[in-house]
Amino acid sequence: MKKTLHPIKITVNGIESTHAVEPRLLLSDFLRQDMELTGTHVGCEHGVCGACTVLLDGEAVRSCLTFAVQIDGHQITTVEGLGSNPDELHPLQQAFWDAHGLQCGFCTAGILMTIIPFLEANPHPSEEKIREALSGNLCRCTGYQNIVDAVKLAAERGVGQPNPDD
Amino acid sequence: MTAIGKSVPRVDAHGKVTGETLYPGDINLPNQAYLKILFAGRPHAIIKRIDTENAAASRGVLAVLTAKDVAINGYGLIYPDQPVLCGPGSSRRFADRVRFIGDQVAVVIAESEELATRATKLIKVDYEDLPLLTDPIEAMKNDSLLIHPDREDNILRHNKIRKGDVEAGFSQADVIIEAEYKTPVQEHAYLQPEAGLGYIDEEGRITVQVAGQWTHEDQEAIALALNLPIHRVRIIYPAIGGAFGGREDMSVQIILALAAIKLHERGIDRPVKIIWSREESIVGHHKRHAFIFRSKWGATNDGKITAAEVEVIQDGGAYACTSTKVLGNATLMCVGPYEIANVSVDAYSVYTNNLPGGAFRGFGGPQAAFAAECQINKLAHALGIDPVEMRMRNLLRDGSLTAVGTPLPEVVTIDRVVAASAEMAGWEKGPEGWSSPPAESLGSPAEKYLKRGIGIACGFKNIGFSFGHPEKCTTSIELLGGSEIERVIVYQAGADVGQGAHTVIAQMTADAVGVPLEMVEMVLSDTAKTEDSGSASASRLTYMTGNSIRGAAAEALMHWRAEDRPAKATFTYTPSATTDFDSSTGYSTPNFAYGYVSEVATVEVDMETGHVRLLKVICADDVGKAINMQQIVGQIEGGIVQAAGYALMENFIQENGQVATQHLSTYLIPTVLDIPEEVESVVLEFAEPNGPWGVRGMAEMPYIPLAPVVVAALHDATGIWFDEFPLIPERVLLKLQEEKGT
Ligand code: FES
Ligand code: FES
Repeated sequence: MKKTLHPIKITVNGIESTHAVEPRLLLSDFLRQDMELTGTHVGCEHGVCGACTVLLDGEAVRSCLTFAVQIDGHQITTVEGLGSNPDELHPLQQAFWDAHGLQCGFCTAGILMTIIPFLEANPHPSEEKIREALSGNLCRCTGYQNIVDAVKLAAERGVGQPNPDD
Repeated sequence: MTAIGKSVPRVDAHGKVTGETLYPGDINLPNQAYLKILFAGRPHAIIKRIDTENAAASRGVLAVLTAKDVAINGYGLIYPDQPVLCGPGSSRRFADRVRFIGDQVAVVIAESEELATRATKLIKVDYEDLPLLTDPIEAMKNDSLLIHPDREDNILRHNKIRKGDVEAGFSQADVIIEAEYKTPVQEHAYLQPEAGLGYIDEEGRITVQVAGQWTHEDQEAIALALNLPIHRVRIIYPAIGGAFGGREDMSVQIILALAAIKLHERGIDRPVKIIWSREESIVGHHKRHAFIFRSKWGATNDGKITAAEVEVIQDGGAYACTSTKVLGNATLMCVGPYEIANVSVDAYSVYTNNLPGGAFRGFGGPQAAFAAECQINKLAHALGIDPVEMRMRNLLRDGSLTAVGTPLPEVVTIDRVVAASAEMAGWEKGPEGWSSPPAESLGSPAEKYLKRGIGIACGFKNIGFSFGHPEKCTTSIELLGGSEIERVIVYQAGADVGQGAHTVIAQMTADAVGVPLEMVEMVLSDTAKTEDSGSASASRLTYMTGNSIRGAAAEALMHWRAEDRPAKATFTYTPSATTDFDSSTGYSTPNFAYGYVSEVATVEVDMETGHVRLLKVICADDVGKAINMQQIVGQIEGGIVQAAGYALMENFIQENGQVATQHLSTYLIPTVLDIPEEVESVVLEFAEPNGPWGVRGMAEMPYIPLAPVVVAALHDATGIWFDEFPLIPERVLLKLQEEKGT
């Protein structure tokens, strides 16, 4: 069985590259294996848990439900692409650390990537809105309260408002 | 300068928020090959023949392994009754059988996961199906169909308690409550599915990197099953994506070691890697045991419980795992934290063809507390006594004898814990005793078809291993510097499963040595570098590591003062001994320390749909001493939500030995929209006399009373007792309609 490979040209975390991928290769596998970006986690392979969430042209998508070929010509941001430089955390990351918004941390990357565009669209969210935004991400450890609080803290610190960190 | 009692931010958070932290599935080694396991997929059968020829010849396949390749081919935390691989030609008798659908039959090692998966489909297995036993009550009675034919029956263990004279006790009673309670299976659903790597390290050790709960137990299990000297096996834990008891038994550990050795024997030195899918995880690892409790309790008009008689039946599933230990807890705790003069308990662990039951947060405690707390709430209601007052008249205190004839170790604080939760919820203590808050205080629901109710339940749970199981924890500490200490290195195997153990280890080390936190370096969770610390389970790690850290720090400081450079010490902490149940009376000293918890919950039930919403949970937990308050509150909130899933929504379906809920799309766990509107943590610090800094241990406690407190609140709202859960809307509605009809 011979497989056709499809050329794709993409920008991942600001860096452009070209690849040849099998048509059925999932974006999650592509990122984790081909790009060695293992910060994107796979918890269910079915679009349920949200652990695999990345940004596709700034929108949160589930990389386990996306094929690598679909991102041809597009921009992807993973958790590794947050923060303006390696020594400085993105303020959303810092808020999760400060508010104890994680325990095992396996859900964290997906939650951060879900919240980035949410706060951009809603820089001053109510608690209810935050809960709604988080409703597609599973966390088995924290009971969610500290995650909600971390998002609140990030909003208070200006994440989502124009250019808080750069 | 002390680091104790501060909400120190997690030491491992940086990597977790940046994505740099590596969980087992994130690690890639040069030239690695991939494993795929062929699961049985059928619940009870004899394997007549396995034909691996086509699989072995398929493209990219390096090896196909079956039962013949496993030296001892048996493992298990208490009995080695589980084959590593099931099939003919095994060194062990009856290893040719599969006993549940998750039994492992063959392993393919190939160049890629895809090629390995393809090859597993080419393996031909001839099964001869056997009749099924999936009902533990039937399995108990059936001596002709044996799940383990080397045993006389399907009863793995029978615990007995005989204290006083229950018949006399019931004759003194004015009210007797009898009920049958059923508690469901629960899936751990840690977000990181099982994964790991196996390879031969630079010193020739068979090395497995995996997410577990006890490095040295994994090491021993591999060494035993594969007949290796223990020092030839090395276990390393990278980051662990949740555990909750679900990683206490072996999953991929032995298979990874087996594959690494077998390749090595064939002259191929390549690392092997495996990642389970969610489906494989759900089928492949043990679950929280389902239990049945048949309880009969009696009490006098003045609210004194006079007798309790309980039959406990635990569905152990196909293999022993930790069933007997879980049963031990349920045996002790099924009569609650109450002083009852006359007690009779018969508790059975039974083999069936269901998924094996094993460790899960609370370890038999939540199941037993469900029966016990429902019983005392029903008695209080029948007697017209306030449920807090009823507890105060019966709770164990210092010196009271438990059902097993011995007192709890001092200081027993459950009465103060119950009082704290009750007061927070608006109970008042008057000259007549405790009285509940007025109904108006619950607020009124927005719609007529909604009803609100409030309830209370409490619980107790051991810290550390029980019933004579050996218990110890070792730490090494090294002090470096010249005239002043400049560096402190602590060597600790304790697993950080997400609970924050490593942060607490750093805090306790800093305090014990007397240096700032930043000076502490940690060498963690590697059997080649750290000594046995015991498992991350039984709410024991802070208590046990803390005591061993204190011992090691004191000795290292002594060497330091004697001018040793570096000054190093290793200390093993051993708590006071515990004993197993006496076989005829149950007399024992089961545990060396306990944690205490009490919860008040407010619920709102939709009488038209049966949907139950948790409005508020108040959790009072005596933690002894909060080393890190932020992490304690995190455990309370996380434990309550996990227990809310257990009580209200997680519906694990097994039929004829098959699992109908193999994905997170069918097995639903709480999202942020399912959590209580408010969780109030009341952290109490009544020092445990032998705990380090007074620590008790707490991670399981908040889980324990949640299901019965929901039932109590639901009864307050509807007047109906629910003896079975999860309280999914269908079940609630059916019962509401039934009661309306009668
Ligand atoms: S792995 Fe993609 S949503 Fe769970
Ligand atoms: S922190 Fe473990 S799943 Fe969220």
